[in-house]
Amino acid sequence: MRGATLARWAVLALILAIVFVPMYWIVATSFKTGRQILLSESVYVPRPFTVDNYVYLFEESRFALWIRNSAITAIASTLLSLAIGTAGAYSLTRLSFPGRRTFGAIVLITYLVPPGLMFIPLYRTFIGLGYTNSLGTLILAYPTFLVPFVTWLLMGFFRSIPRELEEAALVDGATRLQAMVRVVLPLAAPGLLAAGLFCFTLSWNEFLYALIFIADDSLKTLPVGLSEFVVSDFAFWGQLMAAAALASLPVIVVYIYLHKYMVQGLTAGAVKG
Amino acid sequence: MNVLTDRHRERLLGYALIAPVAMFLGALVAYPFLSAIYLSLTEKTVGYPAHFVGLRNYEALLESGRFRIVAWNSAAFTVGSIVVKLVIGMAMALALHNVVRGNQFIRGILLLPWVIPTVVIALTWKWLMDLFRGLINVALIDVGAVRSGVHWLGDPTLAMASVITANVWRGFPFFGVSFLAAMQTVPQELYDAAAVDGAGSWEKFWRITLPSIKGVVAVVTLLSTIVTLNDFNIVYIMTRGGPGAATHIFATYSYELGIMSQRWGLAMAASMASLPLVALLIVAVVRYLHREEE
Repeated sequence: MRGATLARWAVLALILAIVFVPMYWIVATSFKTGRQILLSESVYVPRPFTVDNYVYLFEESRFALWIRNSAITAIASTLLSLAIGTAGAYSLTRLSFPGRRTFGAIVLITYLVPPGLMFIPLYRTFIGLGYTNSLGTLILAYPTFLVPFVTWLLMGFFRSIPRELEEAALVDGATRLQAMVRVVLPLAAPGLLAAGLFCFTLSWNEFLYALIFIADDSLKTLPVGLSEFVVSDFAFWGQLMAAAALASLPVIVVYIYLHKYMVQGLTAGAVKG
Repeated sequence: MNVLTDRHRERLLGYALIAPVAMFLGALVAYPFLSAIYLSLTEKTVGYPAHFVGLRNYEALLESGRFRIVAWNSAAFTVGSIVVKLVIGMAMALALHNVVRGNQFIRGILLLPWVIPTVVIALTWKWLMDLFRGLINVALIDVGAVRSGVHWLGDPTLAMASVITANVWRGFPFFGVSFLAAMQTVPQELYDAAAVDGAGSWEKFWRITLPSIKGVVAVVTLLSTIVTLNDFNIVYIMTRGGPGAATHIFATYSYELGIMSQRWGLAMAASMASLPLVALLIVAVVRYLHREEE
């Protein structure tokens, strides 16, 4: 028994170390001076440490602009997807009509189509529409994976709300739409919030579409901005790691709230790895 | 006068509420997808209209040595990533299973790699693996394991293992937490009964734990295979597919053909190359999830 417990903690300690070290390396690097990095001085702990990298980001780079573009894109595509997906999920769980199962299957299938397969077809479509190189392009593109995701996730939430509550409202003379807006949606509020925060995270982190669809420097989002920080072979690792730390911060904050939903959602297959 | 029965109203509302989803996915998923299949059968040169060439783009891909390397790399990247994620994820779940104190907290920390932007992860690993100043080489030299820095991303044989490492780091916590959640639903009585029969931990794992969680293992593996087979971010940022074509995979290759070289017919064909396999995997997931629902 003793041995088993020891082995268990040894494995846990090893895995925690594997997860911890790269994150520590981000933070440690972000507080180093250019000289410390260039000459490999105080590699493990920055001594002395500096906040110059963070100052540089806001004073001399387009970091604030990237944050703005990412925030606009993420918030707008999240709201759009929530509106479309909520209506769809309600329809698919609560109303009966011919073709319902087919629609449900289509939603699941589109949810599973990976962006790595879709980016060139989607790019050609946007070129055909004459609508590339705008934050609007991304706001329309992200819901291609967010809408199926929201619909799928909320279908689970709606199923968990007892039908009787809605039927009671119908008996009291409410229309179906009123019952949905006044009874079901308030009860599904935690689910809507979770879905919204998930969408925000997925949009905030998205890289491929933002890289391809946007050419204009002033419209780039945070992940694309970061990826282009590496200028030829000499990279500004201090500034870059400061930017990486700040870019991760909003989603970590969101995640602290979302954690319990994530674990629930995982087993239902609603959340992808 | 009310000509609509309640059932008709319900149907109408049902269609009205699903219509935005249907129109959106029709216009920006189904249409691009179908037109991509058509475009993969055409050749377009700048200044001339596209003309139909049948399967010639696919033939050209199959005959090209570069595409064969890409297909092989994609398979290696996917299988390598998933096998290692399964092993570490399972170890993580077993180590955390039945740990009462701090379980939530540890799980919370371990899931962080899955939350932070993939671009951040790819850049961080590129920096960790930097030849002269990266932490890994500096630490290896400091402890005397190597005399000079290892070319993690510059050596063709090591580069694939290196991008897989970054991908595993990003993905194994998700595997672990999923397996753990499934393990927690296995009734304790099964283990007690096995203990009475004198089964050891190893036997309990193979006879009880693994069979009980195999559904979750299957779904997680399938979902991850679909995404990994078409991954772009990690490879694009860490190596751009190099050195040479040593880490070039499907999505980075169609990026090269389409975005860089503007050879759209070939690019579409390359985009669709993994489709038969992806379609099979998607059918498998859909069937699995539907079975769980019922």
